Amino acid sequence: MLFLCLLAVATGGAPNAPSPAFQQFEARLKDYVALHQKLEAALPKLPDKATPQEIDRNQRLLGKRIAASRSDSRPGEFFTPPIQDLIRASLQDVLHDMGAKNLTASIMDENPGPLKLVINTRYPDNVPLSTMPPPVLAALPPLEEDLEYRFIGRRLVLLDVHAHLIVDYTDEVLP
Amino acid sequence: MPRRFLAFAFALAALAACGCPMLGGPAPTKGPAAVVEAAVALPNENGSLKFAVLGDFGTGFRPEYELASRMIEVHKTFPFELVLLVGDNLYGTERPQDFKNKFETPYKPLLDAGVKFYGALGNHDAREQRFYESFNMGGKLYYSFHAPHEPIRFFVLDSTYPVPDQIEWLKKELEGSKEDWKIAYFHHPPYSSGGRHGSDVKLRQTLEPLFVKYNVSVVFTGHDHFYERIKPQQGIVYFVVGSGGMLAPGDIQPNTGLTDKGFDTDRAFLVAEIKNDNMVFNAISRTGQVVDSGIILRRKQNP
Repeated sequence: MLFLCLLAVATGGAPNAPSPAFQQFEARLKDYVALHQKLEAALPKLPDKATPQEIDRNQRLLGKRIAASRSDSRPGEFFTPPIQDLIRASLQDVLHDMGAKNLTASIMDENPGPLKLVINTRYPDNVPLSTMPPPVLAALPPLEEDLEYRFIGRRLVLLDVHAHLIVDYTDEVLP
Repeated sequence: MPRRFLAFAFALAALAACGCPMLGGPAPTKGPAAVVEAAVALPNENGSLKFAVLGDFGTGFRPEYELASRMIEVHKTFPFELVLLVGDNLYGTERPQDFKNKFETPYKPLLDAGVKFYGALGNHDAREQRFYESFNMGGKLYYSFHAPHEPIRFFVLDSTYPVPDQIEWLKKELEGSKEDWKIAYFHHPPYSSGGRHGSDVKLRQTLEPLFVKYNVSVVFTGHDHFYERIKPQQGIVYFVVGSGGMLAPGDIQPNTGLTDKGFDTDRAFLVAEIKNDNMVFNAISRTGQVVDSGIILRRKQNP
């Protein structure tokens, strides 16, 4: 909600009137989720009680197929410069309003810091997932269940959780 | 009378003597969970719910295996049916052989005996663990389940990614729960004296009002690599049981004012037994030492 208001203010529009940049962001997310779901549907359905072999096979296969289908994608495809600016502003507001020290401490807890990131590759197995405090999640645009935000260092990563794949990442958005 | 029953009877007598309102007197309204610290052995009664709590364990290294052996020994005389996993179930890679080396092999005798493990995910856990058959998560990142007997419901949360939907779900689940005992568990501790991590204040601000409002009695967490029982906070007893494989020696900070009992010199797990309004617990170290014990009396609903 906070994010949407910021979008509207930044673009001079009324609240609930998303900017073209945000509309583009949402459209790209929608296309991505459609592709993800199409490719995932072609895989054997993972049962609720799966073996480690089934989990690993599905995850890696899905990752490979998504990467192959998006071989022409580039960093910043989702997090375009206007979207990064808005995320940065939204996070700054939340940090200011809710207490920067505690929020940053949660996010940076066991965070590996600066790390080379490559889109369409597997999220590093040895890197823990950053904690996402509730106020921070509430300040970011909502995502479908297949995708999550995580921080690596001060950069925000868009993560495909089923495929364990880095979809996109920002420049530094945390102060 | 076996010694363990005597110890329990002694503890209950001490509880009555301390004038605790949970025994003998009228039922309190929205009262706090009470903790009686005593050298309490587990009563091991027929029909009680017996369970264990384990966290931050999946290293595949010797200390994890040694603590697992201790759990297996304890299980022979105290046959717990469930193990609550408070996260960091697998450190590092999560290939099929890692599931085997870091989980299936060390706990095989328990799995073979039909003990059910119920997973919560930590910050080191890939999200797809929710589909793993032996973690019984039903493909969900957060879920609740009713204990096999006794009126108890466990609420299992994903504390690394607490989206608003999850908080809304939790509120509805707690609101709809008719069980006497409501127990929550997840990875990040709202209260902890850890020097490395410590209390997750933002998570606390989100969850604690719900726990207080809906009469959660006990919360189990991990993340900090030691055992700690927190002084009751707004009537709720919080545990940190992040000592199942990893260890942060000496990490419990003495000046937080939070600690009722701490143990940060070796690995440990917790076993507990619930019958009626009492939860008796023992925290047990790798060498078999009981490092903490006591009785918790559950919080009670408004009449």
